Amino acid sequence: MDTFIQLTLNGLTLGSVYALIALGYSLVYGILKLLNFAHGDVFMVGSFIGFGALQLLGGSTDPIVPVWLLLILITLAAMAGCAVLGVAIERFAYRPLRDAPRIAPLISALGVSFFLAYSVQLMFGSQQRDYDAFSLDGGVLFLTGFNIGNVRVPLLRIVIILSAFVLMVLLWLLVTKTRTGKAMRATSYDREAAAMMGIDIDKVIVFAFVLGSALAGAAGVMFALRAPTAATIGFIAGLKGFTAAVIGGIGSIPGAMAGGLILGFAEAFTQGYISTRWSDLFVFVILIAFMLLRPQGLFGKADIKKV
Amino acid sequence: MTDPNEQQGPRIGKDEWVARHGDNRARRAGIAGTIEERLRGVPWWAWLALFTGAVCLLPLGVDSGYARRIAFDTVIYMLLALGLNVVVGWGGLLDLGYVAFFGVGAYTYAFLSSDKFDLHLPAILTIPLACAVGGAIGLLVGLPSRRLVGDYLAIVTLFFFQIFLTVTNNGENLFGTDVTGGPNGIINVDPLGLFGRELPVSTDGVFNVSYLYVALAAFVVVYVALRFADQSRTGRAWRSLREDPLAAELMGMPVSWLKLMAFAFGAAVAALAGTLVTALNASVFPQSFEFPLLITIYTMVILGGAGSQAGVVIGAILISVLLEVLREPGDARFLFYTLGLLGLFAAFRFSVRLAVVLGGTISFGLIAHAVAGRVNDLWTAGTESGGSRLGAWAAHWVIVPTDLASWVTPVSYIGLVALTLLLTLLHGWSRMALLVPTLYLAAFVWENVMLVKPEPTRFVILGALLVAVMVARPEGILGEKRVEIV
Amino acid sequence: MAGTRLLELTGVSMAFGGLNVIDELDLHVDEGEILSVIGPNGAGKTTLFNLVTGVYEPTGGDIVFAGESIKGLEPHKITQRGIARTFQTLRLFLNMSVRENVMAAAYGHTKAGVFRSMLRTPGQRREEREIRASAEQRLAFFGERLTGYRWDQPAYSLSYANRRRLEIARATATNPRLLLLDEPAAGMNPKETQEITELIGKLRTEGGFTILVIEHDMHVVEGISDRVVALDHGVKIAEGSFEQVATDARVVEAYLGTGAAERK
Repeated sequence: MDTFIQLTLNGLTLGSVYALIALGYSLVYGILKLLNFAHGDVFMVGSFIGFGALQLLGGSTDPIVPVWLLLILITLAAMAGCAVLGVAIERFAYRPLRDAPRIAPLISALGVSFFLAYSVQLMFGSQQRDYDAFSLDGGVLFLTGFNIGNVRVPLLRIVIILSAFVLMVLLWLLVTKTRTGKAMRATSYDREAAAMMGIDIDKVIVFAFVLGSALAGAAGVMFALRAPTAATIGFIAGLKGFTAAVIGGIGSIPGAMAGGLILGFAEAFTQGYISTRWSDLFVFVILIAFMLLRPQGLFGKADIKKV
Repeated sequence: MTDPNEQQGPRIGKDEWVARHGDNRARRAGIAGTIEERLRGVPWWAWLALFTGAVCLLPLGVDSGYARRIAFDTVIYMLLALGLNVVVGWGGLLDLGYVAFFGVGAYTYAFLSSDKFDLHLPAILTIPLACAVGGAIGLLVGLPSRRLVGDYLAIVTLFFFQIFLTVTNNGENLFGTDVTGGPNGIINVDPLGLFGRELPVSTDGVFNVSYLYVALAAFVVVYVALRFADQSRTGRAWRSLREDPLAAELMGMPVSWLKLMAFAFGAAVAALAGTLVTALNASVFPQSFEFPLLITIYTMVILGGAGSQAGVVIGAILISVLLEVLREPGDARFLFYTLGLLGLFAAFRFSVRLAVVLGGTISFGLIAHAVAGRVNDLWTAGTESGGSRLGAWAAHWVIVPTDLASWVTPVSYIGLVALTLLLTLLHGWSRMALLVPTLYLAAFVWENVMLVKPEPTRFVILGALLVAVMVARPEGILGEKRVEIV
Repeated sequence: MAGTRLLELTGVSMAFGGLNVIDELDLHVDEGEILSVIGPNGAGKTTLFNLVTGVYEPTGGDIVFAGESIKGLEPHKITQRGIARTFQTLRLFLNMSVRENVMAAAYGHTKAGVFRSMLRTPGQRREEREIRASAEQRLAFFGERLTGYRWDQPAYSLSYANRRRLEIARATATNPRLLLLDEPAAGMNPKETQEITELIGKLRTEGGFTILVIEHDMHVVEGISDRVVALDHGVKIAEGSFEQVATDARVVEAYLGTGAAERK
């Protein structure tokens, strides 16, 4: 029973991170029908920006601000930095290819992904970076917490899960309640019609990239608080984030959230009950099954095309 | 342009006049135009024969086993590029698992010709078998393409790649048996053998040049076979599919099946390349089949021109050479300055602007170097001479500190990327003005950051190249410039 | 031969979401005849073509061609059975030459496989020659318009009217029994329209094709049709000879509004 609770907790934490990444994929795919392969590497860059911000603010052993403020600041830094990065990627690698055949921006995205990963490795080396969150304020993030049965739920996990949730709610509000959000949804249905209705397509697309990349940046920080980061994690992270988006229904925001959680749980449970080595494989097989049997995912709509 | 033999003017219209007066294709003026026209007339097999002959003669001129090994690797790259061209260029499919088929061929050969399962089949069997296995798995993996939109197929292939990596890396404990040897791979693989006679991999530690010839022969066979396929009704169908899949389907061409065929053939070619490499290395390891290799081959294909066989071969050679040159700092430095100068010449020709930019950059650098040296000796004392003249000259121009503060690397690199991107947005004088400090910063970053770490540098360049080609010239070097009329 | 139903639609419906674009349509085309389908925009004419060629699968009813149901078959299989079409908005293989466009369409009834092509067997080479000769024959059908020197030029270099002709030529290269022409005279000037009218007649008499035409230009419809069917909102509102349909009150109303029918 304890294992079950622990794994559920793992799944929830993991799933929250995956959900944030998946949201970025869904936002961009919904509008551009583009799989932004570089998204996972934006996530990775977010974790590095967070690390840099952490060092600037004194490092984990001697921060110059209280812990809660520290966490907020580094997350904001990562979100801002990644938003800028996302905008730059869209502007220079995708926008020129907007009218090109579908395969063109995908290949460009591959190039960007590769470029980002190895640029970070070039600048910062290939060794891992550890936030060393345990050292923060004498380990308060880990020592404070509560118990469910015999399982410890440290403060850090609570913070991560809650912040991810808050961000997702904010995003949902942005997309459903604001004008820009409405414009985004309109553009995702029919780009040309939206343009003809006076919607500035470029702005909407940039907005989607800003949101998606910022979320990825936040996810990067949350991830790195619990596990060391390196220049090469972007690839797998992106893959998993994409898996989550597809499972939930790519283009759908609640779908991305659901998909992220499902994936988190699937991974946690296979790691716990089957084996860590094969858990990835298991996840991939699930995805392929989904894509073959229900390509529109859980929340997506089957595509009706009129020729 | 009046033809004195012409009795009447054109009857049907301008088109006929155009046809009567020959292929009035837009051609470049002067000698360049004439040369280009002549070159266009040379048949493809003549080029192939010429090329093959040149490579055959290579070992006569170049004695070093290392160089011959590089040549072998390049031929393998060429094979891989040819295979990917079928999938991406002819089938229009994004196969992100392509390298896995390379691996499938490699492992199949290793299974069939080593102590692993105590099978020692001759190469005349193992190579076709490996190709068949590669093609068959290609068919299986490609099957989802019938039901999935293009991007989704890309993801399925990517996952197949991951599955391949997971299985090969963890295959030393597959339900209790050691199948793939895990991270330690399979060693003691037989060399290529024919009717009991083996082709030794090396004589006295020197790479056996026969392997180069075998690879070259395989390359020629594949090139010709694919060319024939391209000229046949299947090739026509592939071209139609590229133009308009719906129209192709309605004109009786089974689009899904055609895509599947392209996918499978690409996989088979990759598998072929896998067997040759494994035979030469006498071993196979899962680490050889990683994502960077996939991006490398894609860059070769895109740079050379997806859809053009000659193009992707050229792309393969160029990138292969580039990667080799980047290994040695001295060579890499030479490459940087040469390409930089060539780039400037190509952009500005012999003009005042060229002089301004070139002169400006050189003087800017000299001044900056002098100032930096004045401020702090150590800031410019850092070049290891390495004996080359270029290195010595560069030492007077580029700022190379003995010690680099840790913030300098990321700041200068990111600055360079930002400036380069900014340059694409500017025009005219402002672009030229910004070009000067950007070029100098590029030299700085090259010397201090990139030369120091050749491994990530090569990949950074590949990634940037891929994006740049897609954005600026998606048809690559020899690809067809397509007319898309909406 | 006359009187045998080559194509028969019974109770065919096509719904997109909740919208019935085609509603319980009964329609037939007899072998050797030229049937025109007319109707205002949005009447479902192109959807009809898409149904017959397998691009859509009908949500109700059945489609029978040459005695066998083709409902649910993949489009290329339907083409191989003998139905070919042109498109309202041209869909040529623009970057391929004129000749290649026509040769490509021969795929469905030729059989040289990839492996034989790679080996260039005598059989494959012979078939290639035949495909080429056959394509040139088909192009020659169009007289001077698509003559020899044009065959090597890329399709995008053709004038608009010639592109329409090429698309018809390409469709005939699939060896169809039934030709579906979707607005073949669209965008043509009076002279070209006249040529197209003659061409369609020639396709029937010399080519032996059964033809189903969607057309807006009533001169063309009058000039070619054995029978005319009028659709409106996915429903058949009139059927018969051109005179019968053109004067049918419902047809006039569909095109010109209720006032016009009354004024008549």
